[in-house]
Amino acid sequence: MSLARLMATAWRQNLLVSVLVELTYRCNLDCFFCYNDLSLKGEPLSREQYFRFFDELRDLEVLHLALSGGEPLAHPDFLALGARARELGFVVRIKSNGHALRGELARRIRDEIDPFLVEVSLHGATAATHDRQTRVPGSFERLLANLAEVRALGLRVKLNSTLTAWNEGEIEAMFALADTLGLPLQVDPEVTPRDDGGREPLAVTPSRDGVLRLFRLQTERGRASDAIIPASARSADENVPVPTDKHCGAGSSGLAVDPFGNIYPCVQWRWPVGNLHSQSLRQIWQGAAGLAAVRELTTRAKGVVESHGPRGFLLNFCPGAAAAHTGDPLAVYPAALQRRELLEQVLAAEARRPLLPVVR
Amino acid sequence: MTDIHPSTVLRRRPDVRYRRIEGEAVVLRQSAAEVLVLNGVGADVLDLADGRRPVGEWIDVLAREYGADREVDRETVMRDVLDFAAEAAAAGLLEPVTAEDDG
Repeated sequence: MSLARLMATAWRQNLLVSVLVELTYRCNLDCFFCYNDLSLKGEPLSREQYFRFFDELRDLEVLHLALSGGEPLAHPDFLALGARARELGFVVRIKSNGHALRGELARRIRDEIDPFLVEVSLHGATAATHDRQTRVPGSFERLLANLAEVRALGLRVKLNSTLTAWNEGEIEAMFALADTLGLPLQVDPEVTPRDDGGREPLAVTPSRDGVLRLFRLQTERGRASDAIIPASARSADENVPVPTDKHCGAGSSGLAVDPFGNIYPCVQWRWPVGNLHSQSLRQIWQGAAGLAAVRELTTRAKGVVESHGPRGFLLNFCPGAAAAHTGDPLAVYPAALQRRELLEQVLAAEARRPLLPVVR
Repeated sequence: MTDIHPSTVLRRRPDVRYRRIEGEAVVLRQSAAEVLVLNGVGADVLDLADGRRPVGEWIDVLAREYGADREVDRETVMRDVLDFAAEAAAAGLLEPVTAEDDG
């Protein structure tokens, strides 16, 4: 069975595979468009509660555990929790801004957590842009120094970025910087409202031209990398369509937890379906009415996307983002419609490309 | 390829992470960033590769578990398990436990 088929099974049968844990909302940067709800109050989970939670995740056969934030390295028990996650056999990802990722801490992360991947945020190709977004002068230069250090330590690192009105003008330079660093860069074309519904981050929504430029660049880069992936690296059935009954695995194969123990169907979909202070994860996973409703909505979301025709997948529709933008997880929001329109433009241009190089 | 005998003791390599889904195993080799999917018997072998039990004990367990249902004799199970263990070792999923590891 292919990996895609197994994941479809996980969606269908509600087998929890991936969990994202927001350890803390504390952060040593101050990003303008941060999506965290910094006004959220509650009792933070203790180290012992996290250990019990991780044991439950192991019992539920969870594979992927992401340690996120805020800035997860700012949690006082970060190393102990990461080491416990490693001991329990999870594939651990750390999502960090990279500002503290150096020296003894970086070495201990490698030795004690052995993460599969450290995902680090890059906000621009220049100090002026990056520091403007983080609102911490010097953060760009420090990030570059830290990236060199963690690469030398042998940590696997990936760069993440969100396209904004402030960095869209240097997107090519950001990819060039990532290439120079020898790191993959993933760029999200969409700025979303804050988790509390606040729309301030939308002030830096990228322009239509900026998004189009990103899609063209990603297509060009994808074409170049496709050409060098050997056929032997592709699984035999990777192009075989996989039947699924849901649009995504939110609340079916994945969930997210905030620092106060609130459980959400995914990091984007901020509908609390339970709290670890009052219930075990197993109780929530098997019995929460809110989770059952989310699973039903992901089934209906599949129909929503299909109603947009064979190219509905170009919407890259996210029920969580829909809920954040409109309050309705089934409403196709303007950013998704724009994405489909721009991707269709890019694909149409691709279809007009000659199959063979023109010899002059 | 690693020579595997019933007396060989193997364990999962430290960078191997896996979970079962529907009886099969999704396996990630962290160092190679490689994802594999193993069938149920392969998943059982990963469970059994605890660095303590020799491969001969795996054969006993799997012969009991699968032999009767599928009318497979122990010799066939042994051959298949030894072949698979050697392939899994070559693929970087398993490694032999040496005397120094024990000491």
